[in-house]
Amino acid sequence: MSSVIETRSVVVEYPSVKGILRLYDQGVSLKVDQGDFLAVLGGSGWGKSTLVNVILGLEKPIHGSVSFRDHDVTRESFVKRCALIKTAAVFQRPTALPQMTVSQNLHLALSLAGVPRKDRDERIKEALAFFGLDKIERSYPDGLSAGQRRRIDLARALAVKPELLVIDEPTGDLDGSATNLLIPLLRGLNRNQGTTIFMTTALPRQASQAKHQVHLRPPLYLTPENRMIGD
Amino acid sequence: MEKPSWTPIVLSGAVPREATDLLAILVMGIVAVEASLAALSPTLFGSRLWLSLLVAPPTCALASVSTTTRRTREELALFAYGGSGWQILLRYFIRGAIIALVAFSPVILQEFLTTTSILNLVAAVIVLLLTGGSFYSLPSLRRIRSSSFVENYKS
Repeated sequence: MSSVIETRSVVVEYPSVKGILRLYDQGVSLKVDQGDFLAVLGGSGWGKSTLVNVILGLEKPIHGSVSFRDHDVTRESFVKRCALIKTAAVFQRPTALPQMTVSQNLHLALSLAGVPRKDRDERIKEALAFFGLDKIERSYPDGLSAGQRRRIDLARALAVKPELLVIDEPTGDLDGSATNLLIPLLRGLNRNQGTTIFMTTALPRQASQAKHQVHLRPPLYLTPENRMIGD
Repeated sequence: MEKPSWTPIVLSGAVPREATDLLAILVMGIVAVEASLAALSPTLFGSRLWLSLLVAPPTCALASVSTTTRRTREELALFAYGGSGWQILLRYFIRGAIIALVAFSPVILQEFLTTTSILNLVAAVIVLLLTGGSFYSLPSLRRIRSSSFVENYKS
């Protein structure tokens, strides 16, 4: 089976006050097959969001490579990766456009994803209803709670009906009931529509709901003397 | 007895030193210089379109950088929705060009009615659109190319 995403020995480094922060010291090598649901589990500051950015082409690793459908995309942009696999991303921080209503935000995302105009209204209606956003579809994101803005992002990503859904800590900012709904929703999406899901989480219970898991290791700091110290 | 003082708050921030302060000074300075020159020699500076154009770059840059927080959110959203860097730049380039065109429309109209050289006017309008668009979109280019930009996706 061809892999949707494959990373080989990916390492990322950042300058920090304690020295060079090295994420994934041994290198992250993982493979996400078509129809897979992979959860990346790690603590705070271990590089979960960075790995999402590397997968999406928003950050470049200092070592290693990323492939989408066996094409090396390590140096390619998110847009070029989307051309290989229809991808939707949900980041940790809500990203809705502040000057557009909830509904207009979804319209814009669907239009950028190339969804035909005639299908957009129906898809948006479904997604908004599912996430309980139908009553605030004409509201602007700035007037909404963090949890509601998070749901806008989820609705936007799912309305696109992506082949690959990349989702960074999906239940951050969500209340208990929305959290309880979301993971079964992702599993259903994966099982029924065959959507490939790449998810990060800090919660082992959430990660256990995925088909496969990858555990990240804590980062290391490289001091100026090139001594390696654990976090 | 120790007495609280209000002066540190005022004095520590009274001197203009931010990029937006400098741009505001530049805009007002150009307008002031132009007004002085026109008063000194109305015939020499009779056609003021070219001189006025100097105001467009700093004003457009000021408009762009004064809303950095909101603009960054826009850029993050557009990337997340699948937009590309050049699409975002084009969006702001057009916005900057429109701002400059609307603002200068009275001067352009006046020049159109009085000029003897339409080519000169067309050249000035093209320069106006290019500078307005470029200076409005350049801060975005700088932002989205910075290594810290994608850090905004993380909480």
